[in-house]
Amino acid sequence: MLPVWLDIFPASLRARLDKLPDSVIESLEEVRVREGRPLEISYGSRYAFLTPDGLLSGDHREGYRTSREECQAFLEKLTDHSLYAMEEELKRGYVTVSGGHRVGLAGRTVLEGGHVRHLRDVAAFNVRIARARVGCSAAVLPGLLDPAARSIRHTLLVSPPQQGKTTLLRDLARAISAGEWNDPSARGWRGRKVGIVDERSEIAACERGVPTFDLGPRTDVLDACPKAEGMMMLVRSMSPEVIVVDEIGRPEDADALREALHAGVRVLATAHAADLADVFERPVLSALAREGMFGAYIVLSRSGSMVRHRVLGAAEAEEEAGRRRRSIRYGIPRDAPPQVPVHAPADVPVTAPPEGSLELGLKARPLPLIRSPASAEGGAAP
Amino acid sequence: MIRLVGAALILFAGTMIGFLQAARFAERPKQIRHLLHALQRLETEIGYGQTPLPEALLRVAKVLPPPLAGLFERIAGELRSASGETVKAAWERIIGGGWASTAMRAGELEAMLRLGASLGGSGRDDQLKHVRLAMLQLQAEETAAREDQAKYERLSRSLGVLGAALVVILMM
Repeated sequence: MLPVWLDIFPASLRARLDKLPDSVIESLEEVRVREGRPLEISYGSRYAFLTPDGLLSGDHREGYRTSREECQAFLEKLTDHSLYAMEEELKRGYVTVSGGHRVGLAGRTVLEGGHVRHLRDVAAFNVRIARARVGCSAAVLPGLLDPAARSIRHTLLVSPPQQGKTTLLRDLARAISAGEWNDPSARGWRGRKVGIVDERSEIAACERGVPTFDLGPRTDVLDACPKAEGMMMLVRSMSPEVIVVDEIGRPEDADALREALHAGVRVLATAHAADLADVFERPVLSALAREGMFGAYIVLSRSGSMVRHRVLGAAEAEEEAGRRRRSIRYGIPRDAPPQVPVHAPADVPVTAPPEGSLELGLKARPLPLIRSPASAEGGAAP
Repeated sequence: MIRLVGAALILFAGTMIGFLQAARFAERPKQIRHLLHALQRLETEIGYGQTPLPEALLRVAKVLPPPLAGLFERIAGELRSASGETVKAAWERIIGGGWASTAMRAGELEAMLRLGASLGGSGRDDQLKHVRLAMLQLQAEETAAREDQAKYERLSRSLGVLGAALVVILMM
C-alpha cells in the first residue's frame, strides 16, 4: 500500500517516488526537491538520487532534475493553492501538511525593516516524513514517574534534530493520557488530562482541529498556537494535568513554563540541543534548569541503527553538563560508523532508583548521530 | 395552405430568435452582478477568513445561481483532486471552456482570466488588490452591459418579429 504522504507531490514527482521499493519507502526520512537539481531522498541514514526511471543512484548526474513548473505546482499543492493563508508559515520557512509531515522551504526572502516578511521564489523543499510509533515511550515513561503526585515529573526531552524527538513526545503524550504507565508501582493509576500546544502542527497533525495521530483519550490539542500564549490558554480553559510542548527556547516560553508550574500543572517539553552541556549553555534553558524547574531529563542519542535514551534526574543532569562543558566538543557526521557506547554505571552517580540513570535501547529507524565524543570519555574528563 | 403554415413557422422562429437575443442582453448585466457578489464574497474569504482557495471557491459557488456556480465548483473540485494542476491552468481551462454557457462577453472573460492567473499565488494584501482590480473591471463592464441592455433589448425583440415579417412578405 502506498503511503498517504505521496499525495502531496505533483503527479510527475509522484510517478517516480511510486516506484521506490517498499523497504526504502518504509525507512524514508526525507525527500529533497530542488529546482533544476537532482531529486534526492534520504532513508535509513543514507541518501541517494532518483533517476528519471525512478531508480536509486549514488551519482547525482543521473538524478532526475525537477523543473520550475513542477516546483511551482508542488508549492501550490503544499499551500492548498492559498499562499495568502500561509504567510506566517512562509515567514518561518516551513509548512506542515496533513499527516504531520513538515516541509522546509528555501528560496529568496523578502525583507521588511530588516525582518523576513515572506519567502518568494521558493526553489528548495525538504519533506520530512513523520511517523507514529505507538509504544516507543514504554521504556522511558517509568523513569519519569512521580509517585507522590501519581503523575510525571517536569521533564525536558533533549536531543539534536532528527533523532525522533517529536515521535517520542507524541507517544509519551498518548501513554500518559491513556494511563499506560508501564510500571508496577503505577498499577491502578489512571490516565491524566493532557494538553498539547502544537505550534508547528507536528505533534498531533490536526486536520480541522482533530488530531490525526493517536494521542490518547484524554488529550486536548491547541493547534498552530504560539507556545507561550497556548500554555496559558490551556491552563485557563482546559484544566490540563500535563502540558506537552515542542521546542522551547524563547524567553516568553520560560515565563509561561514557570506560570504553568505554579498552576500545579506538570510540563513535558522538548529542546534542541546536542547534549546536556548545550542545555546548560543556552540562556533560557539554563535559567530554567538552574531554577530546578525540571525534575527529569531525557537525552536521546543514536548509536548504529538504535536510538538510545537516558533518563536523568536534575542533579545528575547538572553534574554531567558541568563535566562535559570543560571538554572540547565537535559534531560527527551522521553516516559515520556507529560508536560503541561506553557508559559505565559509575559515570553517573546513582541516587535513588527512579532517579537513577536508565540505559535503554529503543527500537527505531536509524537516526542521525550527533554525539559528543566526550560522552564516551565521561568520567575520564578532568 | 402549406405557404401559410410556413409563414407562421418563420414568424414564430424569428420572434423567438429576437426574444432569445433580448434575453441575453437582459441576462448579461445580471450575471455580471452575480459575479461581482461572488468576488466580494471571495474577498472576505481571503482577507478575513484566510480560507484555503478550494474551500473559498466552494463557498462562493453556494451563493451563485447556475451556470456560474457550476464553473466555480468545477475549479474547486479540480484543485482538490490529486492531479496537481495549478490554479492558473485549471482556471483558464474551466472558465475559458464554460464561458459560452453564460451570457457574458469577452471583456468579462478577460478580467476573470487575469484574476485567475494570480489567484492563490501571493500574500493576502496582494490577493485583495487583484480581486478588487477584477471587481473594478467588472463594474465597468456592467455599466456598458446596462447601456447595451437599454439600447438593444427591445430593439432585438422587435427586430426578430419584423425580420421574420419581412421574409414572409418577400416569400408571399
